Amino acid sequence: MKVTLTLNGRPIEADVEARKSLADFIREREGLTGTHITCEQGVCGACTILVDGRPVRSCIALAVTADRRDVRTVEGFDDDPVMAVVRRCFSECHALQCGYCTPGMLVTARDIVTRLPNADRARIRLELSGNLCRCTGYLGIVNAIEKAASEIRARRP
Amino acid sequence: MASQGIGASVLRNEDERFLHGRGQYVADITLPGTWNAAFLRSPIAHARIKSITIPDDLKGRVFTAADMTGVGPIVGISSLPGFRVSEYPVLATKKVRFVGEPIAVALAPERAEAEDMIERIAVEFDPLPAAVECLDARKSGAPLVHEQWPDNIVHQAEFKLGPFDEMVKKAAHKVTRQFRISRQAVMPMESRAALAHYDARQDELVVYASHQTPHLLATGLAKFLGMSQRRVRVISPDVGGGFGLKIFVEAEALVAASLAMRLRRPIRWIEDNLEHLTADANCREHRHTLTAYADNQGKFLAFDLDVVVDGGAYSIYPWTSCVEAAQCAGILTAAYDLPSIHAKLATIATNKPPICVYRGVARPGVCFSGELIVDAVARAIGREPYQVRIDNMVRPEQMPYSTITNKLYDSGDYPESVRQAVKLADVDGIRARQRRGETDGTLIGVGFASYTEQTAHGTSVLSKWGVELVPGYEMATVRMTPDGDLVIEVGIHSHGQGMETTLAQIASEVLGVDPKRVKVKFGDTAMSPYSTGTYASRSIVMAGGAVATACRTLAKRIAVIGAHLLQAKADDVRIENAQVIGPKGQVDFSALGRAWYLHPEDLPPAVDRGGLTVTEGYRPNPDSGTFSYATHAAVVSVDPDLGTVKLIDYVVVEDCGRRVNPMVVDGQVLGGTVQGIGTALYEEALYGPNGEALTGTLADYMIPGATEVPDIKLAHMTTLSPWTEFGIKGMGEGGAIAPPAAIANAVNDALRVLGVEIAETPITPRRVLAALAAAGKL
Repeated sequence: MKVTLTLNGRPIEADVEARKSLADFIREREGLTGTHITCEQGVCGACTILVDGRPVRSCIALAVTADRRDVRTVEGFDDDPVMAVVRRCFSECHALQCGYCTPGMLVTARDIVTRLPNADRARIRLELSGNLCRCTGYLGIVNAIEKAASEIRARRP
Repeated sequence: MASQGIGASVLRNEDERFLHGRGQYVADITLPGTWNAAFLRSPIAHARIKSITIPDDLKGRVFTAADMTGVGPIVGISSLPGFRVSEYPVLATKKVRFVGEPIAVALAPERAEAEDMIERIAVEFDPLPAAVECLDARKSGAPLVHEQWPDNIVHQAEFKLGPFDEMVKKAAHKVTRQFRISRQAVMPMESRAALAHYDARQDELVVYASHQTPHLLATGLAKFLGMSQRRVRVISPDVGGGFGLKIFVEAEALVAASLAMRLRRPIRWIEDNLEHLTADANCREHRHTLTAYADNQGKFLAFDLDVVVDGGAYSIYPWTSCVEAAQCAGILTAAYDLPSIHAKLATIATNKPPICVYRGVARPGVCFSGELIVDAVARAIGREPYQVRIDNMVRPEQMPYSTITNKLYDSGDYPESVRQAVKLADVDGIRARQRRGETDGTLIGVGFASYTEQTAHGTSVLSKWGVELVPGYEMATVRMTPDGDLVIEVGIHSHGQGMETTLAQIASEVLGVDPKRVKVKFGDTAMSPYSTGTYASRSIVMAGGAVATACRTLAKRIAVIGAHLLQAKADDVRIENAQVIGPKGQVDFSALGRAWYLHPEDLPPAVDRGGLTVTEGYRPNPDSGTFSYATHAAVVSVDPDLGTVKLIDYVVVEDCGRRVNPMVVDGQVLGGTVQGIGTALYEEALYGPNGEALTGTLADYMIPGATEVPDIKLAHMTTLSPWTEFGIKGMGEGGAIAPPAAIANAVNDALRVLGVEIAETPITPRRVLAALAAAGKL
């Protein structure tokens, strides 16, 4: 099936199998391997990307559903000032170890600080419940998001 | 420049690529012409294979055991007396012995096509009764997993150490309990993966694998493929978590490698989550009967342990299935000054997947039963469990201390870790709150668990474990580049532990270089010294020691060249901040690199011919291991109507000697602790009565999420190891050891008013309610 979409700001046309997941499409056809796959059933959140600005599990979204949509993966935030803060805070708070869940975590973290800039720790944990990490025990991730939110709040007039 | 060496929380060198999605895991690597592999796996736990029918159009794309002549079987051998050897075929031959055992493999450009092909293979089975519960499988008359064996006992042993009989007679209290630790999946976020291809130019098999021990994998691949190790190269790129899972030679990698050689085409296998949860190696499944003998004050006189470990269907190479149970006697004394033990250990074969050595190996199990029995003794004599712990612990003035089981504890103040945890968990506050009662009908409790963890144990220890690969001197190569930076090559691996930073910090400690100017390389057997790899919390001690040793040798050579350039005597110069400083001036390392590599006419006549590349080996003396330890405290709220357990507070007081990077240490402790919380409350790889796998998704096999864990409080003590470089102790696994015990003790403390105890993991609502019902309290 033919799809036309925007991937990290770049227009794309492709012919995809109906059963091809968006994650596989992004990784295999476009070579954007920053989107990681673990559970393939929408539980772990490693494959989280933005579709039209909202976090989506790309492992359970079919590539054909991205037709006429704006898709952004971890590789597509290099000019994004919010993501720059989130990334720095992740490093400073040791919010990553093996790096495998990190791209999905970053997309969710950016969504939290953007959508819920005043979220407290409990709310941050709740919002993170769709992203599993096996290395960090989450404390560093929660700290990083709290710190990023606070920095971004302070920048706003 | 502020010190970036040992003790500084330097931000990690590896973060940049991960934060931009530029990590490179095996599944991210594509070679031209790659075919992806899908495995047909047994749906039956135990059966004879009557026939395998492959449609004609799939011939040449689907392979079975008949195509695997000369490959495997995988044989993991222990030299422990009485160990029974199993042959683990890379594809099932006449029988299948666990659900998920690979039977056939299909190859196609896309994984989905290969999975379609798998659907069209017909296998006729003759089902056999399955051995599922290890306690049943031990009994005579149980179905035999390996029909040529007389029973299912892989290995058993018995130890009586110290004046056991005398102590038993003396004891005023005898407390016995039975314990069960559930089977678990390791569940790293990146599953297992292998991509094999034949490099014709080098006449070499190259296997990209998600692995903690790439050199060991190369040795195993060569062994089971019948190839010279000269022709096998393993590359473990970024690895998305290991935790002890990725340290053995998997059947699927051997199949991929043999087919890559045969077809002269890259073959890639990426384990999916269903395969990981149902067909990959499991871990942890223990059954314990433990008796503690104590005097009137609760001083322990003897522990008597009977442990049965479910070893699954086959031994893995090289660790075997008996390495878990075989450790249980040695670690039974834990942090206590225990005069005697008796232990019976058995590893039982069952029709379940093989077992691996998950974070903490046997310790979470032994800590669970041991620390729960401590609390049971305390309850029997009416004392605070933490006081009983403190009274029985090895005291700092006894260090170094040799246990009755011949472990040599190097240093530490174990009782102090309990005292600090008591304060941080506010036991007095909890007791007052318990007296008041909760308004919502829940019960709260506080529990403790302490452990010691042997880390970085070397030749003298592992040679007695009967394993085939024994670590010796750990090697590191350190070389200066022509522009004065450093490259370090080591044979260990890092998959979250931050070794790209911490080893650079050790180099910084010795040579004053900025860790950002040190490239730490590992994971490629063609470009690193041989090592048994990363396991047993050994890498920072062993590879760190090797890096320090090599840097010191390099420092001597640097001093000679630097002094010559400064027209000074080598004795009159010192090395600081990547410079050689003499009485009248200084030169940067870049000048030394330039001299050695590009302008040797500037070198002194008596220069060391080894130049600015140094390879050194390191082994602590003694190499019996350095012991980290910790006390964990959990505060829980139990709902006696729903059986739910909520973690209200969690405290860790740990001591791993000198912390190279405190931030990284915190990360390891926290991550391990949350895995232990998973063991305690959530994780269970379930099998049905016929050995059918019941937990095939993350909705069935639950690992902790961000909402399941509180903000863990972490405190550190620093007692240096007397016999490692810088006093460092290993600590990667420790966090995972104590949580099941601490949390269960907290639950039992909460349920004490009802006279109910839990002795099984995970502590699910069903188990809590069952325990309450059994006591007539529901």
